[in-house]
Amino acid sequence: MAAPRAAVASAKQVTRQNFAEAVRELGAHLEACDYVAVAAQKTGAPTGWRRALPVDTAETAYLKAKLAAESFQPLQIAVCPFRLRSSSPSTLVAYPYNFHLFPRDELQLGMPSYSFSCQSSYLSTMANDGFDFNMCIYDGISYLSRVQESLARQKIFTPRPQQLLPSPSTSVSDSVFVNRIKSKILHWRKGYADPSKKDDGTLVSSLSRLILGGETYGSRPSMSIDVCSDRQVQLVLEAVNHISDDLVSLVVPHKAGAARSVRVIFTNSKEDKNLLLMDIQKLEDEQNFKFRGFREVIDLLSSSQKPIISYNCLNDMTMLHTKFIAPLPPNLHEFMCSLKMVFSNVVDINHLLRQIGPLRKAKNIQAALSYLQRQYFVPIEIEIPQQDGTSSVTKNEQNVLRITKLFAKLSNLLKISPECQLQSREQCTAVEEYCNIFYPSCVVEGSYDANFAIESDTTETVSTDNIIFLWGFREKSVKELKSYLIGLHQAFSEDFEVKLLDKTCSALIFRDSNTATQLLKEINSEGPSLNRFFSEGLKAAGFEVYRKVCRLGLWDSDLAEVLEDVSSELGVPTLPECSTSQIYWNSALMLDLKEYLEC
Amino acid sequence: MGHMVSRTPPIHQTKSSPTHRRVPSPLHPPATAAAMQMQGRLRRVLRAPPPRILLYHAISSPPNGGNGGGGGGGGGGCGSGVAVKQVTRGNMAEALEKLRGRVREAAFVGVDLEMSGVTSAPWRDTFELDRADVRYLKLRDSAERFAALQLGVCPFRWDPAKSAFVAQPHNFYIFPRKELPSDCSSHEFLCQTTSIDFLAKYQFDFNTCFREGVSYLSRAQEEEALQKFNMLYHGQTATSSTNSEEDRDIPLKSASDILFTERMKMNFKEWRDVIVSKPMVDNHLSGNIKCCAGQFQTVFFKMRPAIMLNGFSSHQLKLIQQVLRKNFKDLVFVCTSGEDDTSEKKVVYSDTDEDRILLMKDVQEDLLKNREERVKSAIGIRHVIDLLSSERKLIVGHSCFLDIAQVYSKFVGPLPSSIKEFALSFHKIFPHIADTRHLMSVNQAVQKLMKHKSKSLSSAFSLLCPASYSSVEKPSSHPPVTIEVEGDETTSSCFISGAKHEAGYDAYMTGCIFAQLCAYLGIKFEQFSPLENLATNTKLHKHINFLSPSWNSGTVIDLSTGMERPEPGYMRRFPAAVYDNIIVIWGFPSKVRPKEIKDCICKVFGSGSVTTVFSIDSTAALVQFKKQESVNDFLDLKAVLERADSAISILHPLSTILEGGQTRAAKYDTYRDICSSSESKYLFADQAEAVCATSKNQLGENVDDNLISGVLDGVALASVTEGDGIISDSKNQDIADVTCHDILDALHDGKALLVRRM
Repeated sequence: MAAPRAAVASAKQVTRQNFAEAVRELGAHLEACDYVAVAAQKTGAPTGWRRALPVDTAETAYLKAKLAAESFQPLQIAVCPFRLRSSSPSTLVAYPYNFHLFPRDELQLGMPSYSFSCQSSYLSTMANDGFDFNMCIYDGISYLSRVQESLARQKIFTPRPQQLLPSPSTSVSDSVFVNRIKSKILHWRKGYADPSKKDDGTLVSSLSRLILGGETYGSRPSMSIDVCSDRQVQLVLEAVNHISDDLVSLVVPHKAGAARSVRVIFTNSKEDKNLLLMDIQKLEDEQNFKFRGFREVIDLLSSSQKPIISYNCLNDMTMLHTKFIAPLPPNLHEFMCSLKMVFSNVVDINHLLRQIGPLRKAKNIQAALSYLQRQYFVPIEIEIPQQDGTSSVTKNEQNVLRITKLFAKLSNLLKISPECQLQSREQCTAVEEYCNIFYPSCVVEGSYDANFAIESDTTETVSTDNIIFLWGFREKSVKELKSYLIGLHQAFSEDFEVKLLDKTCSALIFRDSNTATQLLKEINSEGPSLNRFFSEGLKAAGFEVYRKVCRLGLWDSDLAEVLEDVSSELGVPTLPECSTSQIYWNSALMLDLKEYLEC
Repeated sequence: MGHMVSRTPPIHQTKSSPTHRRVPSPLHPPATAAAMQMQGRLRRVLRAPPPRILLYHAISSPPNGGNGGGGGGGGGGCGSGVAVKQVTRGNMAEALEKLRGRVREAAFVGVDLEMSGVTSAPWRDTFELDRADVRYLKLRDSAERFAALQLGVCPFRWDPAKSAFVAQPHNFYIFPRKELPSDCSSHEFLCQTTSIDFLAKYQFDFNTCFREGVSYLSRAQEEEALQKFNMLYHGQTATSSTNSEEDRDIPLKSASDILFTERMKMNFKEWRDVIVSKPMVDNHLSGNIKCCAGQFQTVFFKMRPAIMLNGFSSHQLKLIQQVLRKNFKDLVFVCTSGEDDTSEKKVVYSDTDEDRILLMKDVQEDLLKNREERVKSAIGIRHVIDLLSSERKLIVGHSCFLDIAQVYSKFVGPLPSSIKEFALSFHKIFPHIADTRHLMSVNQAVQKLMKHKSKSLSSAFSLLCPASYSSVEKPSSHPPVTIEVEGDETTSSCFISGAKHEAGYDAYMTGCIFAQLCAYLGIKFEQFSPLENLATNTKLHKHINFLSPSWNSGTVIDLSTGMERPEPGYMRRFPAAVYDNIIVIWGFPSKVRPKEIKDCICKVFGSGSVTTVFSIDSTAALVQFKKQESVNDFLDLKAVLERADSAISILHPLSTILEGGQTRAAKYDTYRDICSSSESKYLFADQAEAVCATSKNQLGENVDDNLISGVLDGVALASVTEGDGIISDSKNQDIADVTCHDILDALHDGKALLVRRM
């Protein structure tokens, strides 16, 4: 069997040292590729009931992903543009990059992040895998999100060149203004450009500078022209353009935003002008690096419009959104809309896995890959043209290459083709069909054993009405709990499932929603039939309370604690409101972006 | 080998030590000797002094006056040439053993901590205006949220023969790892980006810290862990005898289970038969077992033949146990914990019932012992703290209130709810603490020397221990106290020259400063016996256990009584706060400046009505009124204005701050409640909203609108017509209805306002 084996490939390691060059290369590779795989190494993941649980609805799963995205910090983001050719055997050409990040406050504005959470078990595992924290913290690339950049631009002002726009018809007042500016600049320029005056002594030239009101830009003479509107900026630029080629103008923004000035700089030769323009460009690049940093990569990904392939989409996309775009919106719908504007096509590998029956049980990428290896014949030739000399391979680049490989195989099996629309050959599917459907995985990350989860094959949809949250049972196993409950109320003699959500709370899922609502009603009214239930210290609440806990963001304590707080606060028994949702019991949940965009 | 005889005369020991560093140079004042000599030797390994050193000092130890930090320290402070012993997981046990003897001999011990951050949000910075309880809440938040990454411990021993102190700086790397499987706390900690970046600027080695840092259990965690183990132990003995009924029968559902069970039965039988048939000779089986015993390899467990069960799934292990129970009386399933946390499963042959009982007892005892040992080793870095505590030595820190709160929270238990309780319980553990920052303020000569200078650690060090920088510019009245640094006898591989903001070196600097300060206080170390307790020295005693809760609190707390008193000579930047007169406002439009808040309130309440407006962050401010009644008046007026959706509220002067409808106001106690919350949002307004959303007091929502409009007519109009007049006098004049007061009372309750949504 021609087992496609990834050579021990290592990605290009990018720090702030070689960032500019890497971005240039990446841009070119993005142009030429079909897809981009993305993976991130973060400082932690939510624990306990803060993970996505089987009882979560799409909405609560989003809120949990939001929490994780906001608290943890990505330390590495691997980006891998790749090309797939369905020749026989298929070829995969990949260009992996591994970016090291650190949210350094480059502009001294308290951005991008004041603080972040770390999970020591996560850091320990990373440390054992040889993760270089020093490299990250000393040399990691910083960034600002789009929103943060615009905030920063309001606080820090740098003169920058501006394009002269094709001007609309000029009014009389405009031409008066232009003429006035023109003569002012001409007069000033004469002091420098007129060759007859070249022999003047330094005293005279400095005097003339004084009189002409000139300043210097670096070593070059310059003058400022105050303007009070964007229109005037354009007019000044126009005037400067008309006068001479040896003038360079920069627009200086002012704190209030509107009132600005234009700075005109005199250069004494073509070479000098080019030199100046290069200096300005360099300065701007440095500034841009401080204002955008790594976000430049995200902007590139966004503008390339290539489908993004990721494994833990909901987690990764919320993270990318909050760190590089804008703070996360309060609900899933808005998030999906906002995300769609940045990345139009995101493919969750988890969703593709679900298209191939047995793979739906694969716990992680590794498991899926080894299953494919054993059960299917998908020869793929992998080519990674650029190799970084380093021998060690970080976990993160391993992940991004695995995602790449897995996607290549899956797209071969599912006959997904990048050229689909162009050639419209038989039985091929456009990748768009699989886009934007996310499965928040309920599986603990980091467990890399290649076993499949023991999980029933069927995905049932269960209404949130059927769920009751139960706590106060002290440390009991699921089995103990179930047998213990049967004696407490007749409702427990019916068919129900128990799942521990954290060490303090479990979910009971009833087959019959009537039983659940009836039981909840009795619990809320503290009916006498439940005397034993209460005297044992048991408490219960419906899904509404859980939903409220998630909405309020009460993530800090054990689930029992917060459910207790919130349900006692609700006081009056709250019957489930009209908003009944579905959960995908026994399987990961599925969020279909399209669904969210249609409503 | 680790047991050093602590009786060995210390002087003799150090003299014979080859790495002992001292240059008896008459040319240099003695205090420089150690440092000077080291400089040459360690120049190569010195870490290059990073730029902008001092600007960032503010982050780890706030300087006086908040003006950026110790300019006095100068650039020279970095390459110290002081050998600091680096302690990680690998050499922890050995280092601890040595440290024990050194602390025992020490006159005092310098201590310092490096943390992953100081404040979890800008508004959690301590303000001068903070009430003592609020300040403590902020401190507690910081101590609980951030991790301690390095502990510096530096014992100083007085050597009468040399008439010098001998310092042994240690730098312990800390990392809160999960060491015990039973430990289910999440071990999450916060990093403040600027602090981490700051540490990076000083070449902090994060890799060593995260890979090799020593973990710890606090006293409370240890107790919990032991309790859990005991419960497990008792539970297990119980299950092995009685409860085993429950898992006795696993139904063999699938064909593979049945086949597996059958094969195991055969294999065990085969192996057992071999064991039984071959007589034992000297506890070794005679024949060649390997070939006879099929796929099993025989090992010995407690002098009995046994099989290792490797590579079975947990389900298979359950089936195996079932097979053994049902078919083999003389084969016992044993689960022991082996090396590195893995549990080893074995099947042991045991021929008689008595032997079997003996074996089980043995195994149980081993298990217990093993667990206790694991707990003991998991205590890790806390051993150092326990050691310092049990020796009852004088502990010296610099501006160390946050440090001691960290120590308490990480190594003792959850921080108590009040500062007094904290002070008293900390005092029980560490009876003698000296803060060099406080000591600097008690001596006139030192104050004169430090005048207009930053009181940061490095600045104080360069001023008070000037000899360390080889310049004898300020001839002081007393000769400086000589301090030497002593290395280890064994290897020098784990020594790195100390650098600023490495806990070990900072602890050393702190101790050096302390020694000089003692000289200023008139303590003659020459007349000192090596084992005398410095803490009880009459000249020092009255300054011990006094420290400032924060750099800008203007107070000193006495740890032995828990009482706080004003710090003499502290220059206040704000007039003293009267907390009953203070309200907290948040959620106003972000463009509104403190000055505008003051102006618009003054327009309503009179020009002198507001004494201070203190900005918490861009979304919140504290406003102190001149009169206490203004607080309620303001809250009433605000409620009324918000209720009235009319032109009045738009034209009203207060609309500057009420604009947007998100503005909330409450009394000072609400500010405290918001600070005490475990939430941590970046902006105060978000934090306050989050806290108030979860607060249980949701009243005042259903106020009768008619009554409100009555109030509005009375209050709001009065205030508008009176313009600059003070409304409190005219308030409620037109209102006859008593129920209005009731409504207002309900509104007074700060929380009623917080939960209001427009």
